[in-house]
Amino acid sequence: MTEHVKPVPPTWCPGCGDFGVLASIKKSLSDLKVPLEETVLIGGIGCSGGIHNFMDGYGFHSLHGRLLANAVGVKLANPKLTVIAAGGDGDGYAIGMGHFIHALKKNVSLVYVVMMNETYGLTKGQASPTAPVGYRGNVESPFDAVLTALSIPSASFIARGFSGDPKGAAQLLTEALKFNRERKGFAFVEMLSPCVTYNDTYKLWREKVQNVTSVAGYDAADRSRAFSTCLEIMEAGRIPIGMIYRAPEDRRLPSLDQTVLPTLEKAPATTDISLATNLPRYQKLVDALT
Amino acid sequence: MPRREGPFTDLAFLAMATTPEAHTLVPASGEQLGSSRPAAPVLHDVSVMIGGQGGDGTLTVSDLLAHYFRTRGLYVYTSRNVLSRIRGGHADASMRASVEPTWSQKWKEDLVVAFDDEAARIGQNHLVSGGILLGDQGQVKVSGERVHVLPLSVTAASKVGNGLFKNTVAYGALSLIMGLDAASARAVISARFGRRGGDALERNLKAFDLGRQLALDQIGKDPLLTVEDGAAKDHILTTGNQACALGFVVGGGRFFAGYPITPATPIMEALQRYLPQFDGVVRQAEDELAAINMTMGAAYAGARAMTATSGPGLSLMTEGIGHAGEAEIPIVVVDCQRVGPSTGEPTRHEQSDLLHVVFSSHGEFPRFVLAPGDAQDTFDLTVTALNLAEKWQLPVILLLDQALSENAQTGPRFDLSRVRIDRGKLLTARDIEGMAVYKRYEFTPDGISPRAVPGTPGGEGQTTGNEHDEWGHVSVNRENRRKMMAKRMGRLELARPDLPPPRFFGDEKARIGLIGFGSTYGPIREAQRLLKKEGVATRFYQARTLWPVPVDSLQAFLESVDVAYVVEHNYMGQLKMLIQQYLPSPKLRSIRKYDGDSFFAEEIVGEVRRSGGTP
Ligand SMILES: Cc1ncc(C[n+]2csc(CCOP(=O)(O)OP(=O)(O)O)c2C)c(N)n1
Ligand code: SF4
Ligand SMILES: [Mg+2]
Repeated sequence: MTEHVKPVPPTWCPGCGDFGVLASIKKSLSDLKVPLEETVLIGGIGCSGGIHNFMDGYGFHSLHGRLLANAVGVKLANPKLTVIAAGGDGDGYAIGMGHFIHALKKNVSLVYVVMMNETYGLTKGQASPTAPVGYRGNVESPFDAVLTALSIPSASFIARGFSGDPKGAAQLLTEALKFNRERKGFAFVEMLSPCVTYNDTYKLWREKVQNVTSVAGYDAADRSRAFSTCLEIMEAGRIPIGMIYRAPEDRRLPSLDQTVLPTLEKAPATTDISLATNLPRYQKLVDALT
Repeated sequence: MPRREGPFTDLAFLAMATTPEAHTLVPASGEQLGSSRPAAPVLHDVSVMIGGQGGDGTLTVSDLLAHYFRTRGLYVYTSRNVLSRIRGGHADASMRASVEPTWSQKWKEDLVVAFDDEAARIGQNHLVSGGILLGDQGQVKVSGERVHVLPLSVTAASKVGNGLFKNTVAYGALSLIMGLDAASARAVISARFGRRGGDALERNLKAFDLGRQLALDQIGKDPLLTVEDGAAKDHILTTGNQACALGFVVGGGRFFAGYPITPATPIMEALQRYLPQFDGVVRQAEDELAAINMTMGAAYAGARAMTATSGPGLSLMTEGIGHAGEAEIPIVVVDCQRVGPSTGEPTRHEQSDLLHVVFSSHGEFPRFVLAPGDAQDTFDLTVTALNLAEKWQLPVILLLDQALSENAQTGPRFDLSRVRIDRGKLLTARDIEGMAVYKRYEFTPDGISPRAVPGTPGGEGQTTGNEHDEWGHVSVNRENRRKMMAKRMGRLELARPDLPPPRFFGDEKARIGLIGFGSTYGPIREAQRLLKKEGVATRFYQARTLWPVPVDSLQAFLESVDVAYVVEHNYMGQLKMLIQQYLPSPKLRSIRKYDGDSFFAEEIVGEVRRSGGTP
């Protein structure tokens, strides 16, 4: 076996919520037996974004907020890969907001994990777009990614986990990865992942999280019900978690990778680009010019 | 009156005397013939300007004429002018056809077609003395001995059923006025509209015949001018953008992401047609930030990937290009320069991004900047850019400009026999099996580390924009930083033998040098021809690698001449500044133009003549 890079031990503060997210991602990948060489983990910029350094497989460190654009490029170049983009709430909902919305719209089969801690951990605790009013003098009301995702017509997999509940988190991630590997589209998983150093919300969130399955008759295949239930839970001062929405198969729009690359074998990164193979067809293109 | 008003530069072009005498249409003898028609001059170099409102189909007429003359073996060059200082939606297009090789606009128009009075008045300013003006009756008010008004739009509306066909009616009239072969002129229509389906072809042919008849009835059967046939019969008519798109496909490019922006968009549109046939993917991204980052993602995954943009988009891509440099991701970025900054003049021509593409960066990283001069060169250098990016694992910027991107020109069919694919140190699973250890950023003598892409067993590793050690682990070790900087930046020197050499044109022994890049290739070569006729020998250094600056070849060139004019489209003289950094030679002079239009050969000639070719 060729020796390749070994993961380094996480550099996160002891107790950081991101440990739980890392463990869940690793567990789901190994449960599903995703081959190492097919795993691509793309990290954003932030404490959370360093996650690819702490895992085996192919890792890519993006620019701040651009991880989803990178991930779309990777997946459309080689749809056989299992692509996970993972970053912070600042990374995804502030500087990267445009790409987040468009990733939901594009619907490329990848898993996007946002480690949501209501703060900019790496730059020492400034308010992020999800910070509550009052956090460090924040006067803007917080953004909610689940409600936003629900409003994008092509969004087909929306979940929220809590790193304080590693088992539940791993289950959601496993479902998301399966969805990805079946090329069904974009899977969005927000992970409540407390920053113990700047915004220790463990205790608070443990009290506030409410799994949507606890609501009688909840149907994760019903988008408008999902929206209204989440809203009701939030208005009651709690945080909806769990498998929020999963489009029923007859309503699910095809993923972009499936649409533009119907056969897995032939894709930009894997097709034969040698001249020997292509020359006659190239010659035809050139001959067609007038 | 000069065709385009200055001031272009601090060096006064306006000092040019009158237009060269070659530019007159009426033969001297013809003037004396009084009422009888002068003999139609036989031209070996003709330019026709078609003007009207946007939507009048002026480009179609230009395009039909271009293809006609291409099939007659002439060299053709088309250009479009959206004269922004004129109010309203005026638009015009020019088509030049010449027996001698030409890649630039003609100084004066021989014939103007005007669909409205504004176009007629503008056109008159550009007409050679004795030039012909063909106007649409009822619209065009100007009059004169050589002004002919025909009911173009009325005929189109009443007899073809839609006034929009006035452009093809005009082409029909032109075919008689210019002595075009009717069958060949009709064949050009068939080639263009034949595949369109419906009755487009039939109606256009009808419009053509009606136009021809109008001219016959109202002007007479004898042409007002005729054009010699040329020898370049197997040429194609193409643009730099088209050449770039095709070069990308042939060079193995399979992923393209872009965001619409003039004048780069046609590259994306051409690839939308080509790439799906080759298992490739084209995506219109949500913005240029996404475009560059999608491109990087695809390149990282092992696809040959490119993006294309223009000034404002390039600014947004700058962070990404640096990331490709630090993380060693092979990408190609095309910059089709236009007038900037900000929105500037989106449809107009400039070469003012040079210093931006060379230097823009936070932190330092290696990049190559290549600049082709014509369509064929663009095809070749796009392939080269893909190879260089992968071999040296860095971003390569292909610098085009509006004139090169959009102005159609004839040239030989692209030569596939010159195409090579070099993927550099790209590892296969089998290569890796034989290796004891794989480090993504391994130190090597040539600064290039073997590269495995996702999906390759054994090649797992980290690709990162953080400073890293050989493994790709984040590092702030000082010695590592020094070594990594040397590894990356050292490639700028080591790669020199691989970089496209300059092309030289003209007299090897000449004492007057001309230096330029991009589309100035055309006017410079034509200026050389004009100067030669005056007995002035020149030698032209066409720079094709702009970064790293090709110091050796430039130095040799400067040693071989007494004076070297750097010809470029920007205010500051950016190429001259760049050369001067390395070669502060007193021989360097500057010829600059920054009014949004490309050079006329005569402007370059005028400047060389004015300063007498002395330092
Ligand atoms: C373009 C750019 N702007 C600013 C920064 C500085 N920066 C680094 S991380 C970060 C915020 C991180 O917050 P978040 O994404 O929530 O990640 P966390 O650290 O909380 O996991 C910022 C602003 C940067 N790296 N790049
Ligand atoms: S600062 Fe906060 S987010 Fe960053 S590692 Fe420490 S606990 Fe985690
Ligand atoms: Mg955060």
